[in-house]
Amino acid sequence: MADQKTTTNQNSLFVIIGVAVVLALVPLVTQEAYLLHICILALLFGALASSWNLINGYAGIFTFGHQAFFGLGAYGSALMSMKLGLSPWVTMWVAGIMSAALGLVISLPVLRIRSIPHIAIVTLAFAEIVRIVCSNLTSLTRGELGLWGIPPYTSFSLPFIGDATFDAAHKVAYFYVVILLWLLVVGATYWILRNRFGFGLRAIRDSQIAAESLGVHLTYYKTLVFGFSSFLAGILGAFYAHYVLILTPSSALGIDIMIQIVAMTLIGGIGRLLGPTIGAFILTFGLEWLRGFGEYRLLIYGVLLVLIVMFLPKGLASMRLGFLRTRAAKKLPT
Amino acid sequence: MFSMPLSLFSEQIINGIVLGSMYALVASGLTLIWGTMRMLNFAHGEFYMIGGYVFFLLMSSLGIPSYLSAPLAIAAVFVAGIAVQRLAVHPLLGRPQWEFSTLVATLGVSIFLQNAALHIWGERFKTVPYFISGVVDVFGMRLSYQRLLILAVAIGTMLAMWYVLRRTRFGMALRATAMDRDAAMLYGVNVYQVFMLTFGIAAALAGIAATMLSSINSISPWMGAPLMLKGFVVVVLGGLGSFPGAILGGIIIGIVETLGVIAWSSQWREVISFTVLILILWFRPWGLFGVKEEA
Repeated sequence: MADQKTTTNQNSLFVIIGVAVVLALVPLVTQEAYLLHICILALLFGALASSWNLINGYAGIFTFGHQAFFGLGAYGSALMSMKLGLSPWVTMWVAGIMSAALGLVISLPVLRIRSIPHIAIVTLAFAEIVRIVCSNLTSLTRGELGLWGIPPYTSFSLPFIGDATFDAAHKVAYFYVVILLWLLVVGATYWILRNRFGFGLRAIRDSQIAAESLGVHLTYYKTLVFGFSSFLAGILGAFYAHYVLILTPSSALGIDIMIQIVAMTLIGGIGRLLGPTIGAFILTFGLEWLRGFGEYRLLIYGVLLVLIVMFLPKGLASMRLGFLRTRAAKKLPT
Repeated sequence: MFSMPLSLFSEQIINGIVLGSMYALVASGLTLIWGTMRMLNFAHGEFYMIGGYVFFLLMSSLGIPSYLSAPLAIAAVFVAGIAVQRLAVHPLLGRPQWEFSTLVATLGVSIFLQNAALHIWGERFKTVPYFISGVVDVFGMRLSYQRLLILAVAIGTMLAMWYVLRRTRFGMALRATAMDRDAAMLYGVNVYQVFMLTFGIAAALAGIAATMLSSINSISPWMGAPLMLKGFVVVVLGGLGSFPGAILGGIIIGIVETLGVIAWSSQWREVISFTVLILILWFRPWGLFGVKEEA
């Protein structure tokens, strides 16, 4: 069993790199702005859902307030680059650290709670506080009117490759940045899972008491994974801000983002390395495809969510090998 | 806030209790579903919304008097609750990770119902008239009849719920299922029927809140979500699965919000109640009335 797991893990490293390479080739084939835009959103949300998967899928802590860290990163980086005149390349990391700090703060009350709904509601309440504060501080954020005039990433030129131009008309450079960010999130998850820390996290998910009795320091593991996952969400939020260039509290901090994350992770396969990414691509492209249905789009979306959890309970990532793994899965559910 | 005359202050406390009693109705539905089925119902706000719209249709479009259309609307929500349970929740029960998949399924139902309402009735806010107009003067406090009626309905509903849960065969079956599903099944309780009726009753409680509040708040496709969130805050505060906890939690949140709005302003209302929730859970993670859970 252990051997099988390690090989799967090594394979998935190749899969990650393969996916990134294939994606990196897309702009060589087509540079159509609309297609690239959808790909950028799918990768961004795939990375965001992956960062949530780290807490929920591996450590088993079901948080429902991940949008707070995403939105804080977005607003933090946008405001820093606007008011202080710093380059977005710098502010995105500062924003990530701010989100991580906030994540550490909210992990404190969550540490004491073990029941799933309590953690979900506390984190959701916290995220709603962040959203309401953001929309009420109109002098700073302009509230629901929207924060606009956010500078895009500073353009630069690379030797041998050419100019990397970042503005609303040029998507290619953004596309490569989001691929790198996705690699950062998924690669970090992969690296963590192969480490002692990752085994500790999964031990916590399977049984907190057993993990603790075997010497897993619950507080340390939980705060660290919370902080790291918030850090990743903050960076992704900062990218979002400097990509769409306009922010409102409901678009960057709304509960809709969290619903998307949950749906993507569940559709792709929770606790699987590439599950959230697969789910993000299916949902993002699916929602675009449903545009053909006009106003019925979200109606169909709601029904699809129900049908997917009903007929594909383990997510699409499990479908391929599902029939081979059923025997093992019965003995040891992962 | 502190220089307020005593009569105005106590008037606000009563307003807080009235508001809180409606939170308690919504929350007790959530706590009922959690207590018996161990799942979070994220479509609960939409039951509230359906109640509001059906009430509006019966009253404004068909001209049925409010004392008839309110019970009809509540019955409609009861049926809607059973339908949602049968179609979206029942097939998932007992499967692996079902506490998680039911959550996503109810989220899907919620998105569906919100957009269905948007599609059918549009985004214009709708209002219904008060049941009864006028104010009464009690010890210098000005209280509207509508608010007193709300309070009376809430108390009546709570007493009826207490009777159903404690004194009827169905209530016994429900409590047995909540305690131990397998044991209840062994003793011949049809737990799936209990689940279905629980969902219907919980939805009907949200429907009662809808008929009572739709003359004060307005009716829109999105009316349910904020109230559901408030309901979750209340049940977690009071202790998930605890009926008295839901009532007390609702009243506490109602009073805290009403006083908080006077002290600061209405745009900070949710921030106040959510902060109270996080602080209380920090020190009492199992809520005010909940049972401390091991593991």
